[in-house]
Amino acid sequence: MQFRLEKRAEVSRPMLYLTPVAAVIITMIVGAVIFSLLGFNGAIAVREIFLTPLTNSLKWQDLAVKSAPLIIIGVGLSIGFRANVWNIGAEGQYIAGGLAATGVALITHQMSGWWLLPLMGIAGILGGMAWVAVPAFLRVRLNVNEILTTLMLTYVAVQLLNFLVFGPWKSPFSFGQPQTVMFNDDQILPYIIPGTIVQAGAPIAILVAIFAWIMMGRSIFGFQVKTVGTAPDAARHGGFSNRQTVWITLLIGGGLAGLAGMLEVAGPFTRMVPQFPTNYGFTAIIVAFLGRLHPMGVMLAGLVLAISFVGGEVAQTTIGLPNPAVGLFQAMMLFFILAGDVLVRYRVRRVYHKKATGRDSDKKAGAEAGAS
Amino acid sequence: MQENERPRLQVRGISKQFPGVLANDRVSFSVAPGEIHALLGENGAGKSTLVKMIYGIMQPDEGEMFWNGQPLLVSNPKAARSRGIGMVFQHFSLFEALSVLENIALGMDGSLSMGELEKKVREVMQDYGLMLDPGRVVSSLSVGERQRIEIVRALLLKPELLIMDEPTSVLTPQEVTQLFETLRKLASEGCSILYISHKLHEIKELCDTATILRGGKVVGECNPAEETSKSMAEMMIGGSLKEISRGEDGALGDVLLKVNGLSLGRNHDFGTALADISFEVRRGEIFGVAGVAGNGQNELLEAMSGEMPAPREDAIILHGRPMGLLGPNQRRKAGLCCVPEERNGHAAIGDFSLSDNAVLTARHRKGLVKSGMVQGRAAEKYTREIISRFSVMATGPMAQAGSLSGGNLQKFIMGREILQVPEVLVVSQPTWGVDAGAAAFIHQALVDMAQAGSAIVVISQDLDELLALCETISVINEGKLSRAMPIKGVSVEELGLLMGGIHGTEETGERDRVENGAEKNGSGGIKEGKADAVQA
Amino acid sequence: MNIDITIAIIITMVGASTPLLLAALGELVVEKSGVLNLGIEGMMLTGAVVGFAVTFNTGNPWLGIGAAALAGVMVSMLFAVLTLSLASNQVATGLALTIFGTGFSALFGQAYTGKPIALFDSVFPETLTEDRFLRVFFDYSPLVYFSFLMTFLVWWFLQKTRAGLILRAVGENDHSAHSMGYSVTGVRYGAVAFGGAMAGIAGACFPLLLTPQWVEGLTGGRGWIALALVVFAAWRPGRLLAGAYLFGLIATMELYAKAAGGAFRILPSELWASLPYLATIVVLVLISLRRTKNSGAPACLGKPFMPNN
Repeated sequence: MQFRLEKRAEVSRPMLYLTPVAAVIITMIVGAVIFSLLGFNGAIAVREIFLTPLTNSLKWQDLAVKSAPLIIIGVGLSIGFRANVWNIGAEGQYIAGGLAATGVALITHQMSGWWLLPLMGIAGILGGMAWVAVPAFLRVRLNVNEILTTLMLTYVAVQLLNFLVFGPWKSPFSFGQPQTVMFNDDQILPYIIPGTIVQAGAPIAILVAIFAWIMMGRSIFGFQVKTVGTAPDAARHGGFSNRQTVWITLLIGGGLAGLAGMLEVAGPFTRMVPQFPTNYGFTAIIVAFLGRLHPMGVMLAGLVLAISFVGGEVAQTTIGLPNPAVGLFQAMMLFFILAGDVLVRYRVRRVYHKKATGRDSDKKAGAEAGAS
Repeated sequence: MQENERPRLQVRGISKQFPGVLANDRVSFSVAPGEIHALLGENGAGKSTLVKMIYGIMQPDEGEMFWNGQPLLVSNPKAARSRGIGMVFQHFSLFEALSVLENIALGMDGSLSMGELEKKVREVMQDYGLMLDPGRVVSSLSVGERQRIEIVRALLLKPELLIMDEPTSVLTPQEVTQLFETLRKLASEGCSILYISHKLHEIKELCDTATILRGGKVVGECNPAEETSKSMAEMMIGGSLKEISRGEDGALGDVLLKVNGLSLGRNHDFGTALADISFEVRRGEIFGVAGVAGNGQNELLEAMSGEMPAPREDAIILHGRPMGLLGPNQRRKAGLCCVPEERNGHAAIGDFSLSDNAVLTARHRKGLVKSGMVQGRAAEKYTREIISRFSVMATGPMAQAGSLSGGNLQKFIMGREILQVPEVLVVSQPTWGVDAGAAAFIHQALVDMAQAGSAIVVISQDLDELLALCETISVINEGKLSRAMPIKGVSVEELGLLMGGIHGTEETGERDRVENGAEKNGSGGIKEGKADAVQA
Repeated sequence: MNIDITIAIIITMVGASTPLLLAALGELVVEKSGVLNLGIEGMMLTGAVVGFAVTFNTGNPWLGIGAAALAGVMVSMLFAVLTLSLASNQVATGLALTIFGTGFSALFGQAYTGKPIALFDSVFPETLTEDRFLRVFFDYSPLVYFSFLMTFLVWWFLQKTRAGLILRAVGENDHSAHSMGYSVTGVRYGAVAFGGAMAGIAGACFPLLLTPQWVEGLTGGRGWIALALVVFAAWRPGRLLAGAYLFGLIATMELYAKAAGGAFRILPSELWASLPYLATIVVLVLISLRRTKNSGAPACLGKPFMPNN
């Protein structure tokens, strides 16, 4: 007896929703085992990383703060992934958005008014879009693979950030520290819930996800994106432009990453520093997949990943678990969700090997699935 | 064929079950040494499954096989080859980027060096008149040449049984004749041949015996020479052939589609460029484009649909409106709909529901999108209409397209376009790989549509289909379209020569040439002349 | 330019090129079999940390290299099981591998920050390695000669052996190869394992060949550049050698720009540091402009294969 994968005629809805949950649970179990073998208290590590942030209400505001950029970037990436457009350089677009917003903040530093933040927001979006426009142009015009170009530009964005904060943008009052001046009061996001650190990022993330949900689920544009990603030839036949889809999905991804960059720099950071790149752009890739490329799923997944970040900090202080351990948990989660994909598209069947002369009249176990 | 010898291959009570279908149901037959034995059946009758088990690609659930009287167990193709069973597939297992010799080497078991192999290959090619340059890269070869690689590969193993799966479906009539000579020579040397086909005249011409399959069962065995094509066809289809019913041949109406010197560069490495294609189709007319696969049919379809826009505005004129530069959406809105050959992935998306597939191409003409939003209800309603009017076997509008059988999906796609009532419909291979029932249904729908006043272009490799459906026919070869010929009075031989790339035969009448010239000039004066030609 | 500086630049360039070449050779074989493994960076980081740890604890860099290769194979098997046996998306799985390698190396590298390790002894006698001119041929780590050997072996394997022919066939047309009785999945497992071993060794080059200490994220995107090199080389080992050395030269310019003054100083060091990444983009653009009829890309690259369908 052995097992064999058999292609399903239709994707399994229950599996589509169950596998991400299973991936998280299995990550917790396997993670506990592995970290126990490494000499940590695995069970406590898992509890600190995945449960403490939920049970300790003091951590809830941290979750809101951390999940916002993950959700905003993750939603943008998931739209691109749906169209088979692989923007994996969201980190670079996030930095570019943060830098653009910083640039506006520095120019308008002596001014005040409610319009400063929206202006910085627009600058952030445009900055992210500008950073992704090069890969988009190259992909559409010259068929240059966007995976490599978006990623390469991330490294360039880091260098640009360093150049600016070590050079022209360095604050004269920073005692040699590489950082810009602190933004003025009208350039920093206000706290929207009194007595917490929750800023505009969280509600914006929710709005972005809801808007994307409607757009992807109901609009012809969402239909276009899914069609181009699933069957490019059929999309062409249906009159959907592949080039236009690549452009728009990349600009959405870059724009949202840029917006997240602005919300971070005008939010928790309040100035530009070399520590600004915090891997949100890369982690958002996990968020997009864990959320099954569905805006609502992305919202939940963003929360899960935020939990692991916040929990990682908890575990670091309580049991001395090194910070990179969290990255390992997150990678495991992505592995398990990808492995779970197979259950959505295939079913596992038990097969019994029979002789060609088989007397058995039970034909149900017939081995090879679907003859071509 | 020697009666008293032990059969080379004997198959006894073979069954094979797939999810939802019993592909082979206790199939038995035997093949004598040196016999050319036909396996005759429709698409889906179980022929391919049966030979895949003989060749070891699949294992039977039940039954047994004997090879020269000994029990035969083939666990994989390698085992089959080592027993002396060779196979030439319908879809070649060739590697485009590799050379002829490398391709052949992959089919061998690796005991020879490349140098020795090349020597043997040249010998076999010489013996059987299969000329090929072993150093050529496969992507540069014609379909017929590619098949020769497969045959050489099989012959190198000195097979005692050669399985040929639908070998002529991609060949010109002349290439078929050449192939038959090779097969007869092989049989005369004692090699048995299992010849799979649904083409009756070929089987009559070539085979000693025929086993007829229907729905996975053996329904008869006969000597094709003693049967009529009609009697074999009835055994194969299981009932009398249904004729296409059409009303009286009315005179054709005004010109709805006019293609005018359409030229297009190749769209990818292995594509075919279209060169100066011109034809016109009238209201009520079905215009056929015959040709061997890979001669520009896909490109022609995409040029018509707007997926590959033409370089000039007036290259395609729909009822007086230039369409050449427009994309698929505008052409559809104007009344030009198309059905490409490839069902899954081009005409439809297997992972999408039928309803979403309706949105794919019917959204403009059926109002399935309003202010940027997909109208789910309207799409479902239209899908239900397609399902019921075209007898599509599906669980409902939410069924995934990929879960439908080939014939049902094709009926759905045809229904999706036909119910939009376009002025012009261009379809490519409308019944390729579709069961006989669905094919007849589709043919009837096309005829009805033409009679209701649309103009239809059918691009097909199946000459019988075109001869049955069309008023006018032309042949595409290497991206060039022959002159249009009225179906009455055209001979299969003539079409065959055109398909093989031989133009301007002696028989071509003066009137046809004049007509062809007149078409190119686009004058309206040919209306009567053309109608005469059809009615004559 | 001064001859000594020229020789020093060449020696630095060869060193900087070697990990690129090794990783790209592995990926070339993987891609020829029809698999796109984007996880090179992750496998390199894993190889780097394992290679460092074993070398540090045993004092034997050969053991370090062996362990790095083994670690590369092991993580590549994660990728193989997911993409080949479970038909997961190759792009996403490759990314997962990179994220995994990044976390893994950061976690286990922490303990080694600031600790020295043993390096390879020279393979040639001092008279050759310390000769002012001859050192340009002899003053290298064994890893450098290994990379030359592997370039030749990969070429020979792919073009001259039957196994190489089968591997190319599998990458060209998986279904045909399967129907002819070759194990598509088996061949691909083998190729992915080879790619993993090569990436592991390439990763170990960073501490064992370039800078003998542990730095987090020390590969700095070289795995991704290796990926671009394979495209640049049109899947040919010979061209890969040339491409790797071109990039090695660009990376070397960054080092010399930092050290040298004068004209180099006019441009900010961040620009020099960006150069390899910008050059990668430029190279990708140039390849696409070349538009030859046959890019050399295997026809089944990145397409999942399930034998039963």
